[in-house]
Amino acid sequence: MRHLILFLLPLYSSILTAQDLNFAVSAIPEKLVKNANAVVRLNHLDVELHSLTEMEISMRRVVTVLNKLGDTHVNGQVGYNNSIKIKDVQAIVYDKNGSEIKKFKERDFNDISAVDGGTLYSDSRVKYLKYTPIDYPYTVEFTYNLSTKNTAITPSWYFLEGFMVSTEKSVYNISWKIPEMKPQILTLHLDGYSINTIENENRTTFIGSEIPSMKSEAHAPAFSKIAPKIMVRPTTFNYEGFLGKVENWKDLGLWMYSNMLENRNEVSDKTKDDVLALTEGITDPMAKAKKIYQYVQDNMRYISVQVGIGGIQPISAIEVDKVKYGDCKGLSNFTKALLALVGVEAYYVHVEAGNTKIDFFEDFADLSQGNHVILAIPEGENYHWIDCTSKTHPFGFLGDFTDDRTVMVIKPNGGELRRTPSYLNEFNRQNITASISISADLSLKAQVKIKTKGTQYDSHFFLVNENKDDVIKYYKKFWSNVNNLQIIGFQFQNNKEDVEFVEDIDLEASNYAVKSGNRLFLSPNVLNRNAYIPKRYRNRSLPFEISRGYLDEDKYVIVLPAGYAIEAIPRAVSIENEFGTYHLKFDLDNKSNTLTYSRSLLLKTNLFPKDKYEDYRNFRKEVAKYDNAQMVLKQL
Amino acid sequence: MNQFYILLLALMFFSIGLNGQSLKFDDINQEMLEEMSYATDSAASAAVLQRTHAVNFIYKESTGFQLITTVRKRIKIYKTEGFSYATISENLYNHKGDRETVSGLKAETYNLEDGKVVTTKLKRSETYTKERNKYYDEYTFTMPNVKEGSIIDYEYTITSPFAHLIDEIYIQYDIPIKEQEIVVTTPEFYMFQSIMKGFLTISPTYSKEARRLTYNSQVKGGYAGPGNTRSNSLDYFVYRSSYVLKDTPALKEESYVNNMDNYRGSINYELKYVQFPNSPRKEYSTTWEEVAKTIFDHDDFGRQLNYSGYFKDVLKEIIQDTDDEATKVSAIYKYVQDYMTWNGYRGYNTDKGVKAAFKERSGNIAEINLMLIAMLRGAGLMANPVLVSTRDHGIPLFPTREGFNYVVAMVSLNEEQIFLDATNKYAEPNIIPVRALNWYGKQINEDGSFSSVSLFPSKPSREVIMLTISMEEEGEIHGKMRKYYSGHSAYLFRNQYNELDEETYLENLETRNKGMLISEYEITNKEVLGETISENFEFSLEFQSTVTGDNIYFSPLFNFAMKENPFKLEERNFPIDFTFPWEERYVINIKIPEGYEVISLPEPINISLQNNMGGFVFNINKTNNSIQLMTDLKFNEAVIPAQNYEELKNFFKIIVEKEAEKVVLSKANKNENSKRSAEGR
Repeated sequence: MRHLILFLLPLYSSILTAQDLNFAVSAIPEKLVKNANAVVRLNHLDVELHSLTEMEISMRRVVTVLNKLGDTHVNGQVGYNNSIKIKDVQAIVYDKNGSEIKKFKERDFNDISAVDGGTLYSDSRVKYLKYTPIDYPYTVEFTYNLSTKNTAITPSWYFLEGFMVSTEKSVYNISWKIPEMKPQILTLHLDGYSINTIENENRTTFIGSEIPSMKSEAHAPAFSKIAPKIMVRPTTFNYEGFLGKVENWKDLGLWMYSNMLENRNEVSDKTKDDVLALTEGITDPMAKAKKIYQYVQDNMRYISVQVGIGGIQPISAIEVDKVKYGDCKGLSNFTKALLALVGVEAYYVHVEAGNTKIDFFEDFADLSQGNHVILAIPEGENYHWIDCTSKTHPFGFLGDFTDDRTVMVIKPNGGELRRTPSYLNEFNRQNITASISISADLSLKAQVKIKTKGTQYDSHFFLVNENKDDVIKYYKKFWSNVNNLQIIGFQFQNNKEDVEFVEDIDLEASNYAVKSGNRLFLSPNVLNRNAYIPKRYRNRSLPFEISRGYLDEDKYVIVLPAGYAIEAIPRAVSIENEFGTYHLKFDLDNKSNTLTYSRSLLLKTNLFPKDKYEDYRNFRKEVAKYDNAQMVLKQL
Repeated sequence: MNQFYILLLALMFFSIGLNGQSLKFDDINQEMLEEMSYATDSAASAAVLQRTHAVNFIYKESTGFQLITTVRKRIKIYKTEGFSYATISENLYNHKGDRETVSGLKAETYNLEDGKVVTTKLKRSETYTKERNKYYDEYTFTMPNVKEGSIIDYEYTITSPFAHLIDEIYIQYDIPIKEQEIVVTTPEFYMFQSIMKGFLTISPTYSKEARRLTYNSQVKGGYAGPGNTRSNSLDYFVYRSSYVLKDTPALKEESYVNNMDNYRGSINYELKYVQFPNSPRKEYSTTWEEVAKTIFDHDDFGRQLNYSGYFKDVLKEIIQDTDDEATKVSAIYKYVQDYMTWNGYRGYNTDKGVKAAFKERSGNIAEINLMLIAMLRGAGLMANPVLVSTRDHGIPLFPTREGFNYVVAMVSLNEEQIFLDATNKYAEPNIIPVRALNWYGKQINEDGSFSSVSLFPSKPSREVIMLTISMEEEGEIHGKMRKYYSGHSAYLFRNQYNELDEETYLENLETRNKGMLISEYEITNKEVLGETISENFEFSLEFQSTVTGDNIYFSPLFNFAMKENPFKLEERNFPIDFTFPWEERYVINIKIPEGYEVISLPEPINISLQNNMGGFVFNINKTNNSIQLMTDLKFNEAVIPAQNYEELKNFFKIIVEKEAEKVVLSKANKNENSKRSAEGR
């Protein structure tokens, strides 16, 4: 939700022509019904660039829904705001034979605010169709026209709309009156599909036909990274009254800087005095920057208010200074202003945020990429990155929200594409050490230390702000496989400088071991059992990825109950392959009746072809097997 | 904690002129701003220090009585998580041109800066009103300059033309409230009944006060001429209730609770009647009889039951010339269930009416179920509506029209009462959708009288799993599994999985069973309502036993054992809600590997919860080369009271431990001792 909302153009946005389609379900080619909850019979978008300040879009969309799960693909909705006018919104519902059964006029559409509860204000609205299907299959034809003065962002286009939905015909048609407005078009993942391009002097048309559906599969790359799509951008445009002529990222950055960012960095005298006092005597720019970032984290909070120009201009620093809150744009701009006051240069950065890593396209500079803003602080050739919406992240640490992707860094002399830091493999470390004792009464006591770094730091360090009840709840879930768990005490150390989180926990559990006659059964892997086995596919069709990887290291010194001796113990294991490594070792000291359990699991980031999937699944199965193996003790 | 109660207050008044609000807001000082945690609840991320909530009626000649609600809250923010309390939003209702409005906003944030108290005012431009839907606008603002340690203070007034509707006043939040005062002042013309719920102890004080209102009346007729007005006045009384509470604890979330608001302290005002001078009294409902009658008399409810023209021909076709009541019921039910589709809207009142709904083949809950009732009656059956509050809507604890949001049908068949709900394609007689399984419903009879009926099913819904397993020496097991689903288990299965293609379903099933391989899958009665669903397949699973030397150890439930106690927390304040009574039974036959014999088995057990609320049976036997196991876990009640939490937690602990116990196998003929000990059992 920390996103900057660009004005809402519908993703799939067409033109009314005469009834040229047979709406009967029987007319759908057989191969499009397989693995599909819905079939897009026709998706036709016409974009007309009349002038720099006039764009018209017509949409015609016909979808046949085969079952209940396909209802969402009707997608009878269109977004608008103060700069987008919509008209001729209409929908017609047909039964399976293609006979009309119901008609919706514009006034029959629901009209609601297009923001969730997390946003204080935005002028984005959406008109949507609410239809209760009375029978399956059924078909909906949805049409509208839209006009806007903004020509900077034209809709991108998916020839396949999602998993479990196929496409019979998909047409994207863009025309321009002025030669300078000829758009640049980026085609992505079109290979292997029947998609034709027709280029004319002032018009380009893409026609996709009979594209079968894709099925979602575990660990597959995000849909947007594999689906056939095109992105389109006019090279000369108007955006909310600001004209632009953009060839590359440098131009776009310059346009952003001079129209949206410059001269919005004034702050109050008091704030100025405060930050100057805060950094007094410090000469190292990074030391200063850390102070400023801490100041922002302590004094500001994130609130989403979408009131700036077209959702891309930050609220001015002075406004943020007054109310002490802002969205990602406002807070980044404010922080940049403070840094400037203490003599540290920082750049405003557009990024596509989210757990999935999405890159900006190198040769395709447009405003539709990116949904979030962060800052880059240069030091020599390198950048330090900060997310000003976080009240807790250490300086320079982005976590998995904005890591490892190309972003646009906006400098006074233009934009450039850079890559944010990656957190991969061994860097994302969790280290658990514990001294554990198991008593003859079957109970367990342990002093545990957990150290985390990288993305694993990111998923642990929030604990430092949680109250006691919630921390206890968290551990009961974290170690849900230890029944009767009691948390006796805990203590945290958040080492922001090294980006390392340390947890010290005292715990107990009654009846940890299982007694059967004169034998005890127990899992030596008390604290980090990984039981995950990837889904089995009879026919896998997509590649898969390990997107970041991690390393878990565990070392437990386990004092066994007096009066018992080990009868059986799982064997030592050492697996190394292209996916990672797994090592397991047991060292027994008979004198002290102590077992040292050492384990490590490393997963390595990579993209793998689909025929490696079964190997990966087997690797994880082995890990699950050994992680959950039990040892047997026998009474002496 | 005190006993949960609902209090219907006798309206007793003594005429001491208490003049409205008595709670005074303290000056904000350094000490208050320095405080870093709430004294009696250190976990609280924020706390309401002081709060007033005043409801008044003001007479305006142009509009009549208006409802004026003035709220003021002063909140201390302790931690970042408490920042959410610094964003305030109010839903403003509008209907047919009348709308609620907000005025008089004063809002300030207090901070300590360099030892001095600094205030930051909220500006009008920082408030927003957005249209949420046809009936509601959302008025929202967020406080400026909020940090850990800040105190925020805001006040505003809501003016409502809907004078008969006083919103439920919550007196308990998810954060503590140190001091609060609620004062509700109502004119004698609007007679309300106040009702309190929750675990809090409240002792309201009451008073009565004289008021006067003036109004102009136009003097008509020849002698005064048009336009002449006369000023009149009217003396009347107002009744005032005042509720002062100190140190109200936070309401803390717990799992397996269907709706926390059921337990939240609140005050409700329900209108009994409206009576102006020289006008007839207009009665509203304050008893279940009256609620039933009011709803029954409503055009969108009772009258809808009387229409019959629209289905006359259809009905004839459905029931043909059968006289058998059971046949009629199932035929009509099946017809409505198939013909109509629910549009996702709830309510016990119809929206477009049953006739329009019938034509469109879709409607809200009331349209579909009232249509069903009308058709059943049309066929000469005894059928009545039952008003229901859905699980997410809370429990209607006292007589109120707003307490309900749903209606189902009840039909009498051979002395038996059967629930029917035609709004879900997989519901069955007496298997109504889970959303409606919420304590008691109110049945409204044809004469408008009512009775309470329990909505919970009387019989547990069953899942029976039958396994025939062969074990391999290395720890792999394979065999056949048959699984049966009945009652609500079948209802949930059909709703969850019937739309999925088989391949996807099997992928999910294998994943849920941790690496199970499934083949020869068959399912019967998936679409046949009223019949038990049966799944039938062959499976294999690896790593199911521990092998050491000549011995093999395994849990006789293998991967199917309950491995975790679902109840982990030390204590609990609220009942545990399982939604419906349920039973899960495993019948397992295990063929042990060739050449091995059974050395030891876990002991059978049979335990039960108090008052026959539930029980667990674990029976195990062996023959030469096989083991037979039967486990049965059963809850006869859908809801287990909080005072039985400890018992319930321990009950599950015993199950988890029992199911973890091992069977020991040993290579036969190798060791005479072990053979003897095996026979000794």
